Amino acid sequence: MRFAITMLCFIGIASVIGTILKQNEPYENYIIKFGQFWFEFFEAMGLYNVYQALWFLLILLFLIISTSFCVSRNSPKILKEYKKFQLNAREKSLSSFKHSYQIPVKEFNASKLEKFLLKNKFRLKQNINKDGSLIISAKKGDFQKLGYIFTHLAIIIISVGGLMDGNLVLKMQELTGSKQIIYEDLALNDIPDTGKLTTSNFSYRAQMLLREGEKQSVAVLKAKEGYFIQDLPFVVGLNDFRIEHYSTGQPKSFESDLIVEDKATGQLVKKTIDVNNPLTFNGITIYQSSFEDGGSELSLDLWNLHSTDMASPMESVIFKKNELLIANKKYFFEFNDFRKFNILDIEIGNEKKPTNVGPSFIYKVRNESGQANEYQTYQFPMNIDGSSYYISGMRKTPQEDYQYLKLPADANGKIDGFMLFKSLLNSPSKLSNVIESVVEKSFPNGGEKSQIYFEGVKRVMAEFVKGGYSQVAAAIDTSIPLDDQKRIANSYIKIIFLVGQELIDTYSNDNDAFLFENNQKFVQESLTGFNDSFFYGLPIFLELKDYVHVQSSGLQLTKSPGQFWVYLGSILLVLGIFCMIYIQEVRLWILKKKNNKNVLLALATNRHRYEFDQFAKKVSQQIRKILN
Amino acid sequence: MNLKQVFNYLFIFSMVILPTFGLIKFHEYMDYYEMFILAATGITFILINKYWQNFSYLVSTILIFSFISIFLYEGNLLTSEKQFALKYFLSSQSAIMWMCSLYPLSLLMYWFYLFKKNPFLGNFASNLTWIATVMGFVGLLVRWFESYLISIDVGHIPVSNLYEVFVLFCLITALLHLYYEEKMNRKELGAFILIIINIAVGFILWYTFSKGADEIQPLVPALQSYWMKIHVPANFIGYGAFAIAAMISIAYLLADKGILKSRLPSLVILDDLTYKAIAIGFIFFTIATILGAVWAAEAWGGYWSWDPKETWALIVWLNYAGWLHLRLVKGLRGPLLAWWSIIGLLITTFAFLGVNLFLSGLHSYGEL
Ligand code: HEM
Repeated sequence: MRFAITMLCFIGIASVIGTILKQNEPYENYIIKFGQFWFEFFEAMGLYNVYQALWFLLILLFLIISTSFCVSRNSPKILKEYKKFQLNAREKSLSSFKHSYQIPVKEFNASKLEKFLLKNKFRLKQNINKDGSLIISAKKGDFQKLGYIFTHLAIIIISVGGLMDGNLVLKMQELTGSKQIIYEDLALNDIPDTGKLTTSNFSYRAQMLLREGEKQSVAVLKAKEGYFIQDLPFVVGLNDFRIEHYSTGQPKSFESDLIVEDKATGQLVKKTIDVNNPLTFNGITIYQSSFEDGGSELSLDLWNLHSTDMASPMESVIFKKNELLIANKKYFFEFNDFRKFNILDIEIGNEKKPTNVGPSFIYKVRNESGQANEYQTYQFPMNIDGSSYYISGMRKTPQEDYQYLKLPADANGKIDGFMLFKSLLNSPSKLSNVIESVVEKSFPNGGEKSQIYFEGVKRVMAEFVKGGYSQVAAAIDTSIPLDDQKRIANSYIKIIFLVGQELIDTYSNDNDAFLFENNQKFVQESLTGFNDSFFYGLPIFLELKDYVHVQSSGLQLTKSPGQFWVYLGSILLVLGIFCMIYIQEVRLWILKKKNNKNVLLALATNRHRYEFDQFAKKVSQQIRKILN
Repeated sequence: MNLKQVFNYLFIFSMVILPTFGLIKFHEYMDYYEMFILAATGITFILINKYWQNFSYLVSTILIFSFISIFLYEGNLLTSEKQFALKYFLSSQSAIMWMCSLYPLSLLMYWFYLFKKNPFLGNFASNLTWIATVMGFVGLLVRWFESYLISIDVGHIPVSNLYEVFVLFCLITALLHLYYEEKMNRKELGAFILIIINIAVGFILWYTFSKGADEIQPLVPALQSYWMKIHVPANFIGYGAFAIAAMISIAYLLADKGILKSRLPSLVILDDLTYKAIAIGFIFFTIATILGAVWAAEAWGGYWSWDPKETWALIVWLNYAGWLHLRLVKGLRGPLLAWWSIIGLLITTFAFLGVNLFLSGLHSYGEL
């Protein structure tokens, strides 16, 4: 018992460690957290996968053995007791019980007593001793003791079932070297036999990622930082994967339409599985466990923000890479994810409500020196503070929040207006024309002053087009005395705005994107957007024009022969606990000696409980009544 | 036949008729498990009522108020803002707020009773608890109905997030307390048990007013299962019973030190009650954990994944198994076991709340 309790404490402590220390993370996370020394120490202890560490399994094994011993030692005694009635109890020992009563008899009627005891669910035997005295030995609630056998047997059965579903066999094979974890990304054909588990593998929990329209007959069994390949007795095909949504946009269900074909018999099964609704086939259960993009195809428009160029098309596929040469610099695009639905808290009226804002795609852009920023760009414009913007987030590391570039939608709700605006800004000749007309408005008569003003505005605009407001500010810092800086800065901002407005007024006749009733807001937002693009880390804006959505469904395939035993043990456990806790074992003796006016009644229980005193008193009174 | 018997038969009759009516009228919306659960609920209530007469009054009152509320709604959620009775009493939110204000009051009354020993105060405290419990259950049932008014596919039993299960915790703990109170015919322990209930009430209030947690949210796919209907309530019978055991243990320790000794039941009775509460809790917690394993097998593909919530359930279970061993095998009694059951509640609380707050895992619902 003491040993079992020590083992139980160990299991408890190990379990706690397993919940506090996140299990099965990538090893680099642990190295960052603990440093190299402690990382190796904890790794040797198996703390990153406590529940499959050898020592943990060994403790479980010891527990099973010790509980088995306990059961095998105690059970025969208990079973023997079940049959045995202590008919040889002595008067002396009976009368020393806490609950023993001398009851006077008028007429002794054994059959009446018997009836009473049977009615009260006692089992009983009687005997006439050598000295002629009659003893009735009765008992009830033996199932309390059987409860002990039930619970402890149940614990053994459950643990054995659990071990059957554990990976003890695989662990042994790893120790002997007949199986080895694969750590590289290998094609299926290149995987050595030591990394493959056959269909005869006794139990496993493996993963499979299936693209829509794809078929596979092997699954991946994760192990430490690597994996094994688990061969399956059937081929799994995914026809379709769907995510359904509530009207608020939260996901309602994940469903996969599967076709499973048995390799040996050719038997076909079609079923739609979802999160609470798996498919069991050939002893293997297939569950919906996750999903990701399966290589969606994106049609993009590529806008260079710092040139006069209009859009050039670009085709891309999620998980593929594109390489671009822009202004003699190389950019490497890695497209990582496409999300058809995005639920964001968007202001509608006065309230913020989770709303679906439509598709977005996520990509990394690496420059020649290898530095990468991550981007998330949305397809459709969003309403923010009463204006409509195209949004793209940028961040340098996954831990940061996105910084958003907001480009205003034009009069048609498209991005073309802004893009036209930026190309006008980037065109020196058009810009120069517009500046001329702005200057003309201020100096209708021309002259030398107007020429100086013209040159000044041109310089300011050139700085702005090169690097936004901060570039203008830098120019002010170096050329203007400190006292005048603020005044000058304000007038420059005004000039930039005037030029912007004039740009749009001049070209609005040619382009319906600029047909605003009042274009001041658009000019302001466009200038801000243009300015922000210098902090975007990329001179490119990618606009999503169209897509073909392809999804992958993450399946989990488990073979767990121990499940039956675990469930059986569980039923036994509940039964056993019930017996142990709610059944009170009672033993009762009635001894009638020859020629004695009194009858001796004695009651005992193996576990004294508060109610037993009352129970004994009640029974004694009832028997007193029968005998009188 | 006296009035009591008539009522009793009426109750049994309605516990047969109501589920039958439900099965006939709504069977197309239910799967077999749900039909089974509905039928079993009726039968279970009849059985409980056999051992505890007041249970039928409780159930009847709750059902009548809930039906009135459903009737008043006229199928439109917005009615609750216009209709007087709904707005102030019978909409789910108001009913739960009534519960939240009546439990503190009954705690106060129980303490008055503990010091004054005036039977009137005792009954008053009991009745307050009783009414608060009725209001809480009405609140939950109406909330269930309201969730369907939002939209048919949003509708679900209100045991799916921390707010709802905290209400459930209060109610089940109070129900167990009322049962023991009646069986023991002693009312002093309410002064202790209502403390833990009111701590939960405090949490509900904070959670409602600072986090808006009372809003009904649709279910994430993993929770859409009939198992939730039995797994969660079974778990909370366990938690409620463990909470009661710990509170009685506090009373035990105080009495053991001579504090309030003359006002509390004897040590033997306190000790026995602790045992009974833990026994009830243990059996329901065992069942709930097993049901959880069955559910996990169905939703996540493994009956046991060493998910933090599962692991802590095991720790809680081992803890109380240890307690029962000491008491049943070694025959131990006294302060050690009392302390143990108090620490047991801390462990249970961590399993119930701490895991959601501090550890991550598959049971990710109900984050703060
Ligand atoms: C589930 C609730 C459990 C209950 C109610 C329970 C009850 C009992 C009882 C009454 C005994 C004494 C038997 C006797 O000597 O007559 C006992 C002994 C024992 N129990 Fe449990 N038990 C439970 C769970 C466990 C667990 C989880 C373990 C550990 C795996 C365990 C291991 C043992 C051991 C090793 C003994 C000692 C047997 C001996 O003295 O030879 N029990 N238990």
